[in-house]
Amino acid sequence: MIELKHISKTYPNGTHALYDINLKVDKGEFVFIVGSSGAGKSTLLKLITCEERPDGGELTVNGQNLIGIKRHEVPYLRRTMGMVFQDFRLIATMTVFENVAFAMHIVGDSRREINKRVPYILGLVNLQDKAKCYPAELSGGEQQRVGLARALVNNPDMIIADEPTGNIDPALSFEIVDLLSEINLRGTTILMVTHEHSLVKHFQKRIVEIHAGRIVADTKELGAAGI
Amino acid sequence: MKNFGYLLKEGIKNIWTNRTMSLASVAVLMSCLLMTGAAVLFSWNIKSAMGMVEGNNSIKVYIKQDVPSLKAIQIGDQIRKLDNVSTCEFVSKDDGMKQMKQMVGEQNAGLLDGLEGDNNWLPNAFRISMKDLSKYKETASKITAIEGVDKIYDYQALADKLTHIDQIVGNVGLVIVIALSLVSLFIIANTIRVAMYSRRLEISIMKSVGATNGFIRVPFLVEGMSIGVVAGAIAAGLLHLLYYYVVSSQGISSVFNVVNLNAIMVPVVVLFILVGMLFGALGGIISIGRYLKKEGGAIVGW
Ligand SMILES: Nc1ncnc2c1ncn2[C@@H]1O[C@H](COP(=O)(O)OP(=O)(O)O)[C@@H](O)[C@H]1O
Ligand SMILES: [Mg+2]
Repeated sequence: MIELKHISKTYPNGTHALYDINLKVDKGEFVFIVGSSGAGKSTLLKLITCEERPDGGELTVNGQNLIGIKRHEVPYLRRTMGMVFQDFRLIATMTVFENVAFAMHIVGDSRREINKRVPYILGLVNLQDKAKCYPAELSGGEQQRVGLARALVNNPDMIIADEPTGNIDPALSFEIVDLLSEINLRGTTILMVTHEHSLVKHFQKRIVEIHAGRIVADTKELGAAGI
Repeated sequence: MKNFGYLLKEGIKNIWTNRTMSLASVAVLMSCLLMTGAAVLFSWNIKSAMGMVEGNNSIKVYIKQDVPSLKAIQIGDQIRKLDNVSTCEFVSKDDGMKQMKQMVGEQNAGLLDGLEGDNNWLPNAFRISMKDLSKYKETASKITAIEGVDKIYDYQALADKLTHIDQIVGNVGLVIVIALSLVSLFIIANTIRVAMYSRRLEISIMKSVGATNGFIRVPFLVEGMSIGVVAGAIAAGLLHLLYYYVVSSQGISSVFNVVNLNAIMVPVVVLFILVGMLFGALGGIISIGRYLKKEGGAIVGW
C-alpha cells in the first residue's frame, strides 16, 4: 500500500529532514509514528500525501510511483487518502454537516448522494445530533471527530493523521484513537503521528520511531526478526 | 459541469466578502474601457469630419469686404485666366449665408436671423478647384497677389489640423489606455489574491481532499470575470450618456454628422463586456496560478 525505499528529503533551505528512510505499510495496517519534535514525522507524511517531493529513492502509494507523479495527478491520489490535522481545519462559517459535505462537493458528488452519506458518516463518529452546530459550539474532541468524518466521507483507502490528538484533552484523545481503530477494523489503513506515550501504550499497534530524520525502531521489523 | 451552480455562487460570494477591492477593480477597469471608447469615438468623428471636408474638395477665395460686387466679378475673370485653375464659381455673400444656414441646420437657423441683407458680414467669395494640387502653393500665391483678394481658405489646412489633433488624441489616448489596462490588471489580480487569501483555509482543505486546481480556480475566475462584466456594462452605459451629452451640449451634431452611437450600441455593449471579462479572467489567472502552487500548511500560512 505504502512503500518507501531509500527516501531522503532536503528542504530548499538546506535542512535535511529525512535520511534513507525504508518503510513498508501494508493494506489494513494501523501504524503509530512517534518521535520528538523536529524528528521528521510530518515531513514523512507530507511525502506520502505529495505535499513535498523526496530528493530521490522510491516511493509508491497504492501502486502508484510518486517519484515523477504529474501535478495534475496529485488530486486523484489524494482522493484515496483522508487527512486529519492537529488544528482540525474546520470552516467556522459552515455547520458540521456542511463541513463534511464540502469534501463531497469538491469531488463532484451530487446533492442526493451527499444528503445520504453525510448523516451516515456523522453517525459513525457519534455526531448525528450535532449536524446543525457550528465548530465553535463544539468541544475539541467533537471538532476533531468532524475532521475525521470529513476525512472518511469520500471513503479513502487510508487515513493520514498528523498529531490528531495534539489539541485535545488526553481523556478525549482515547476516544479519537478508538474511532480510528474502529475505522481500521473496516479495512482502512491508518498512519497516525503522535507523541503521546499513553496512547501508543494503550493501543497495541505497530510503532515506527523516527529520530533526527532516521527510523530508529519499528515494532514490525522487530517481530519479523523474531525478537 | 455538475457543480457549476455551486462554483458560481462561491464566486459571487467572493465579490461580496471582498467588496471594497471589487469596487476599486470595477472602477479602474471601467475608466479604462470608458477612455478607450471615448478615444475611439473621438477619432472616428474626426475622420468622419475629414471625410466631409475632403468630399468638399475645393478652395475658397475670399474677397475683401470693401470691394463692390462688380469689381469682384472682374477678379473672378483674373482668377480664371490662371493656368492651374480649372473651375471658378462665384459665391455671393447671400449665397454664402444660405449655405451657412443649411450647414447649421434648421433648429439653429434662428441664430443667423437678422444677418441677412446689409447686416450680412460674410464676404463675397469664389469657390475654385485646381487642375494640379501639387502646384497649389504657387497658384495660391498668384491668387492672393490679385488686387482685392483677402485670403484663401483652404480645406486642406483644416484637414491637416484635424489629422494632427486625431494623432495627438490617438497617441495620448493609447498611452493612457495602456497605463489604465496595466493598473486594471494589477488591481484585479490583487483583488483575487486577497479573495484567495481570505479563503485560504477552504483552499487548503479543498487540496487535501483532492480538488483539482481547475475546480479551485473557478470561483476566483468567476469573481474576476464578474468584475469585468459589471465594469464593461457600466462603461458602455456611461460612454453612451457622456457621448450624447457632449455632442448635443456643444452643438457638434449641427456642424457635421456625428458617428451614430445609438446604431452600434448593441455590439459596443457586447464588446465592452467581453473585453471586461477577458481582463477579469487575465487578472485572476495571474494570481490564481501563483497561489495554487502552494501546498498544505503553506496555504494556510503555518
Ligand atoms: N517547509 C520547511 N522548510 C524548511 N525546513 C522545514 C520545513 N518543514 C520542516 N522543516 C524542518 O525539517 C525538520 C523536520 O520537521 P518535521 O517533519 O515538521 O518534524 P516533526 O513533525 O517530527 O516535528 C525540522 O528540522 C524542521 O525545522
Ligand atoms: Mg510535525
